[in-house]
Amino acid sequence: MQIPEPLQIAIDELSKLPSIGRKTAMRLALHLLSSDQERIDSLIHSIADLKAKIGFCTDCFNFSVNELCDICSNPKRDKTILCVVEEASDIIAIERTNEFSGIYHVLGGVLSPLDGSSVESLNIRELLSRLRESEIKEVILALNPNTEGESTSLYLAKLLKPLSLNISRIARGLPIGGDLEFADEATIGRAVLGRISL
Amino acid sequence: MTLNKLFLTNFRLHENTTLEFSNNLNYIVGGNGQGKTSILEAIYYLCTTRNISQSSDQEAVTFSKKYFELNGNFKDLTTNKTKVFYDNESNRKNYFLDDKQIYRASSIIGKFPVVTLTPSDHSITMGSPADRRKFIDSVISQSSDTYLKILMEYNKTIKQRSSLLSQLKDHRSAGLLQELDAWDLMLAKNGAEIIRHRINFLNDFELFVKEAYHNLMEEVEVPEIFYSTIQISDFSKIEEDILSALEKRRKDELIRGTNLVGPHRDDFVFSINGLELKKFGSQGQHKTFQIALRFGQFFFMNERLGRKPIFLMDDVFGELDTYRANKISEYLKDIGQAFITMTDFSNVANLSINETDRMINVHGGVAEYVS
Ligand SMILES: [Zn+2]
Repeated sequence: MQIPEPLQIAIDELSKLPSIGRKTAMRLALHLLSSDQERIDSLIHSIADLKAKIGFCTDCFNFSVNELCDICSNPKRDKTILCVVEEASDIIAIERTNEFSGIYHVLGGVLSPLDGSSVESLNIRELLSRLRESEIKEVILALNPNTEGESTSLYLAKLLKPLSLNISRIARGLPIGGDLEFADEATIGRAVLGRISL
Repeated sequence: MTLNKLFLTNFRLHENTTLEFSNNLNYIVGGNGQGKTSILEAIYYLCTTRNISQSSDQEAVTFSKKYFELNGNFKDLTTNKTKVFYDNESNRKNYFLDDKQIYRASSIIGKFPVVTLTPSDHSITMGSPADRRKFIDSVISQSSDTYLKILMEYNKTIKQRSSLLSQLKDHRSAGLLQELDAWDLMLAKNGAEIIRHRINFLNDFELFVKEAYHNLMEEVEVPEIFYSTIQISDFSKIEEDILSALEKRRKDELIRGTNLVGPHRDDFVFSINGLELKKFGSQGQHKTFQIALRFGQFFFMNERLGRKPIFLMDDVFGELDTYRANKISEYLKDIGQAFITMTDFSNVANLSINETDRMINVHGGVAEYVS
């Protein structure tokens, strides 16, 4: 059977989304087609609002509806500790832990010469001026533990050294609640290499 | 560990071949292009999920067929059923262990250890430093997942750094130079781990190679492996040594826009009685060294993994004189299970063959037992 063109277009658009294959896209499109108008409108509306209403915080580059994000404008947050992350989505992950009460700075990527991502294309100058002008005493580097993340951490550590702040890096190692015997060898190997004295 | 049974379907010349093997030596005899090497290729697929050569999976499918399937039963303490299925249309290869699909090849690494000795091994002693690094790295990786991960991270660092250096060649800027400092630290950190692993490995491995060489050649020939890397002051200070080497070469690196320091430029120099093999070795010494390296790998893995790997030998006897062929067949008795291809039976008289060994004749993709 020939698929009607509007349905085909919807399938094509949906399958461009991450982790959506052709079959899932088809199922979603058919599901939408059979939904009532109200639901469809509400979905369209929410998608349109995403880009229209959400921008970036002028201080930390987090997602924000206002000029300052909810975290930067919250008086209860500890303004002396700053956590540096790659992307705004990383803030969501750290916030979910409820372990961190400081503020953030989003780099907008990591150093990757191959992808043309350099110091200039990241929010590093902004980070420096923030650190110079604020009451921040401690910086935590929370970048991904891959080659580019590590190299960016090394770059920042060196760059921030003259500011005489307390600089630390999140530990990489074994997952909590995971038994040693079930962790992959490389993780254990790295955890042993990066052991800390007690 | 041994492979007891093998089934090949639409695999090169083998439309339908079933084989039962000896736990000891399995001699597979056949002319060129008759399908004997395909049997080794099939075993390698089942052990590693990968192709033994650089050829594509699709090339292994019998002409005019749509898929190939390999099945093998390994026996250690228990029996493991393995299967590789490839079909042309999806161009996908699926691996099954005891009927369960395995999605990550890395979860199979080390489970069915295998050592190969093939004519292409000549590149290890005669080829470029890259060929030798590839050999050494593959042996270390087979017994250390950590090493494999570090190696991948190091290679990424080298690529990133090379891209940055070529940007700097066109346009020098203070900002980019600071970035280079950070990549220097990354290179030093991962590079030092690689060098440490290689030093530790060679300390052990060289002993195994020496012993193997001695078993193959009773004459007084002493093989040595010299590791050629950056200038090292102390085992615990390799990171600093790399950094100071980088500092010395920075000017050159910036002018040439390329990486000039690090273990990706290392070499391993083989010698016999103090004479460099590559410069002074005879054809026979090269061959013996290649064989000793593979036997060394076998016994090294046996010690590390606590299990005997399967040994695959493709057409080694053809290039050897009677003395060496006989020595190898003697030595093979200690090996456990091995699969050895030969082009004809003329060598058989020189080999010491046991009752438990098996002789298989392959002709036009059809295999039959000779003994
Ligand atoms: Zn903010």
